[in-house]
Amino acid sequence: MLLEYLDVFISGMTIGSVYALMAVGLTLVYGVSRAFNFAYGSFYSLGGYIAWVLMMLIGLRGGYFMVFALAIPILMVFGYFTEKAIVAPLRKRSDWEVKVMMITLGLALFMDNGYQVLFGPRMKSLPPIMDGAIEAGGIYISNQDLMIFILSITGILAFRWILNNTRIGMAVRAVAQNPDGAQIVGIPKDKIFAATFGISTVMVGAGGVLLAQKYFISPMGGWDILVKSWVITAFGGMGSIRGGLYAAFILGLLEAFVGYWFGLNWVLFALFAVLLTTLAIRPQGLMGKWG
Amino acid sequence: MLQASHLTKKFGELVAVNDLSFSVEEGQVYGIAGPNGAGKSTVYNLITGIYSFEGDITFDGISLSGMPPHKIAQLGISRTFQIPQTFPSLSVEQGVGVGSRFGDSDGYDSENVESILEFLGLEEDRNLITSDLNLLGKKKLMIGSALATRPRVLLLDEPMAGSNAHEIRDLMELIRRINKDMGVTIIVIEHFMKVLIELTDKLLIIESGTKIAEGDPNEVTQLPEVIESYLGDAYADDN
Repeated sequence: MLLEYLDVFISGMTIGSVYALMAVGLTLVYGVSRAFNFAYGSFYSLGGYIAWVLMMLIGLRGGYFMVFALAIPILMVFGYFTEKAIVAPLRKRSDWEVKVMMITLGLALFMDNGYQVLFGPRMKSLPPIMDGAIEAGGIYISNQDLMIFILSITGILAFRWILNNTRIGMAVRAVAQNPDGAQIVGIPKDKIFAATFGISTVMVGAGGVLLAQKYFISPMGGWDILVKSWVITAFGGMGSIRGGLYAAFILGLLEAFVGYWFGLNWVLFALFAVLLTTLAIRPQGLMGKWG
Repeated sequence: MLQASHLTKKFGELVAVNDLSFSVEEGQVYGIAGPNGAGKSTVYNLITGIYSFEGDITFDGISLSGMPPHKIAQLGISRTFQIPQTFPSLSVEQGVGVGSRFGDSDGYDSENVESILEFLGLEEDRNLITSDLNLLGKKKLMIGSALATRPRVLLLDEPMAGSNAHEIRDLMELIRRINKDMGVTIIVIEHFMKVLIELTDKLLIIESGTKIAEGDPNEVTQLPEVIESYLGDAYADDN
């Protein structure tokens, strides 16, 4: 029994690590620009489909290393110019937040239907990033889960390093804390908004590449991710990256244990039950702030 | 150096700035005063590119029309806000460094950051988190971030607001030193008329976005139209 629980725990940590990667991206955009991106789930699917096209359609050699090497710049450019094309023009208008929600919702529907037209309604699968498993003390951990965990954590640490040690990271932090103050000391606020949109697209798209190996890719598969990312973001505290990280692992473990004890149908119910209970007691989420 | 010509800004039906023209010479301390809602801060928002405008503003002959705020900062015009606009979770040193890193066209200059911290008396607070500073500290830090961009013109928006008499003296001395020692041209919005008379070389009075008077502060504050529309009879009686 204990070994089974450990197995479920490892599964929860693995899924939690990918959720953390994706939730940090969503939190970043909200924290910096206060924009709600409803196409986030479709960007997840985009990552999966890019990997599928490269590996299965084109037959790219070099495995997942090459997939990430090509997918990351594609996702970055796509996210950057999507913000410039459809979000930035709205920012100058009144009630822009609502308009951004509507236009990103429209973008999500456009992209998902585009996937259906281009790739068909059937699910696509990707080969595992690594075969086999390692055994330690009677517990078997698949190399695939281990690699997903390592790559997700690497992605989060790389993001943290960029935020704390680079010029663009300093600009992102400054704009997140004070957009008006940032631009009058020479920071191009609009470019930073677009860059954070690009970075978040990379993070959720990379999550799509990692999870597509386990859960397949389908045209509407991003909606589940969108809902979970928002649950994690709200649970952790809107705009709090640290809160999002804790929330992702807590909800990843919750998902694994609820799935194990009660079945997968109860997972979303449990996530929302925890979210609503938390928000009733602490409306700002785990680490969010009022105001 | 800085020339505003027929500057107009409308928000729907409201005319916040109406056909306003003025010019600021290099090395001056130039004051702007007027009642609440006169359009003083809006003028700053027009100069720094936060709002678009009709008319023109030129800086050393370069038109600022349509130029984004970060480009204007890099050109040499920086500003502060009435409510300190700092970066709450950055340290004091990082807050000043942001200005140097992004606003200084020569790039980050640690010596410049160091000298600004020293100039403002913030060197011992360098590792403090900005949100832990008191109001005066935040005002100084905001000025420090602006100075780190190596501005040629610094726009100060009601720097004395919320300060006690001792702090006002400190801030006036600081503004004089920025002007004289660093050679930065200053434009200052202020409600304290005595501060403006002591500090400025030239004073502009506006009401409802329109110029009422411009000139020597001592002379401008004696004009009947200025007393009537802004200062009130009590001020005239006291002086």
